[in-house]
Amino acid sequence: MRRTARLLTGTALAAAAVGLTTAATAVPVYAGETAAPGGLKVYPSSVVPGDRAMVTAACGGGGSAAGDASAVGAGMFPLAPGTGDGEATGHFEVPPSAQPGTYEIVATCGDDERRVTGDLVVTLTSAAEQVYPKGSVKTGVGGALGPDPVQTAAGVAALAVAAAGGTWLLHRRARGDGI
Amino acid sequence: MRRVKDTAIAAVTAVALGSGAWLLLGGARTEAPPQPSAAQAATGQSTRADRGAAAPALPPSPPDRVRIPAIGVDAPLTGLGLTETGSLDVPPAERKNLAGWYEAGTTPGERGTAIVAGHVDNAKGPAVFYRLGALRKGSRIEVDRRDGGVAVFTVDAVEVYAADAFPDEKVYGAADRPELRVITCGGPYSRSTGYQGNVVVFAHLTDSR
Repeated sequence: MRRTARLLTGTALAAAAVGLTTAATAVPVYAGETAAPGGLKVYPSSVVPGDRAMVTAACGGGGSAAGDASAVGAGMFPLAPGTGDGEATGHFEVPPSAQPGTYEIVATCGDDERRVTGDLVVTLTSAAEQVYPKGSVKTGVGGALGPDPVQTAAGVAALAVAAAGGTWLLHRRARGDGI
Repeated sequence: MRRVKDTAIAAVTAVALGSGAWLLLGGARTEAPPQPSAAQAATGQSTRADRGAAAPALPPSPPDRVRIPAIGVDAPLTGLGLTETGSLDVPPAERKNLAGWYEAGTTPGERGTAIVAGHVDNAKGPAVFYRLGALRKGSRIEVDRRDGGVAVFTVDAVEVYAADAFPDEKVYGAADRPELRVITCGGPYSRSTGYQGNVVVFAHLTDSR
């Protein structure tokens, strides 16, 4: 009787454990989660009303996606699998009547219903809001010019070994040991 | 027994001598990257007319790769921002065949000035834009775009500027047609301060496919 009870308890525990794991894995990873910011990028960084904007969405898996630019009054637009790694790309036109400001653009990935978002910045003149770099660019350290310090050290060490060996041999010869 | 030992020491000595000489002489046998000649500099107003008609601007699209067949460049592009001082950031130096583009600016092929930068060398030797200074007017630069298209630029000028007299407006400033700048380190080199300036390639969009 006790044995049966123990067996039953064990089975129940195992079943509960299985239930728990399946429950955990069955819950969709993205369910209930708000849209992931940063998974969507809008190019160029600032768009003038009436111009086209390009959107890349990090959907993964090379799938397509459904874009939503209704925040700026441009409605829905499709995103097709792009050439980048698992990125879907699409275009929409910023309405000529759009006011300057920042708008949230949303894309819903086709395969897993995941939502990604990013910001669209609308400005009246394209160059006005753009931040230009200043000054020179640090794109070299001289590694193509000077000797590599490690290589130089290795060379000096090898020559030291050669000097030691040579000295030893000369000493033996001087002592008449012969080679 | 002693003879064997002597022979071994002699062999080790010979090998050490040879490899030591090779390491020291090989390490010093390096060349400065090529620098543009005065003939490749911009020639006033005529640059716009004489290097192929400008192609119509493309819609914006981030780039994936840059190819410069004349100097054997074929490299992926990573997005670049600005440093704290407002200068253009650079790609990670340890990846020698990686270039970058200024992500908060114009995308290559779009109207305006798109900016691409890459290392001339890293601690181990030449990098992606080592031969950029050897580029000549009329050479072709191709940029693969993420929308599947290719923007084709033609070189208008190859200049070298000192870091303390860098013409920001000319290099980075707005343009009314699709233009491209490709930047790497250049000019004289000093052990204490590194390269004294930058090689800058000026190009404009002449084709797309």
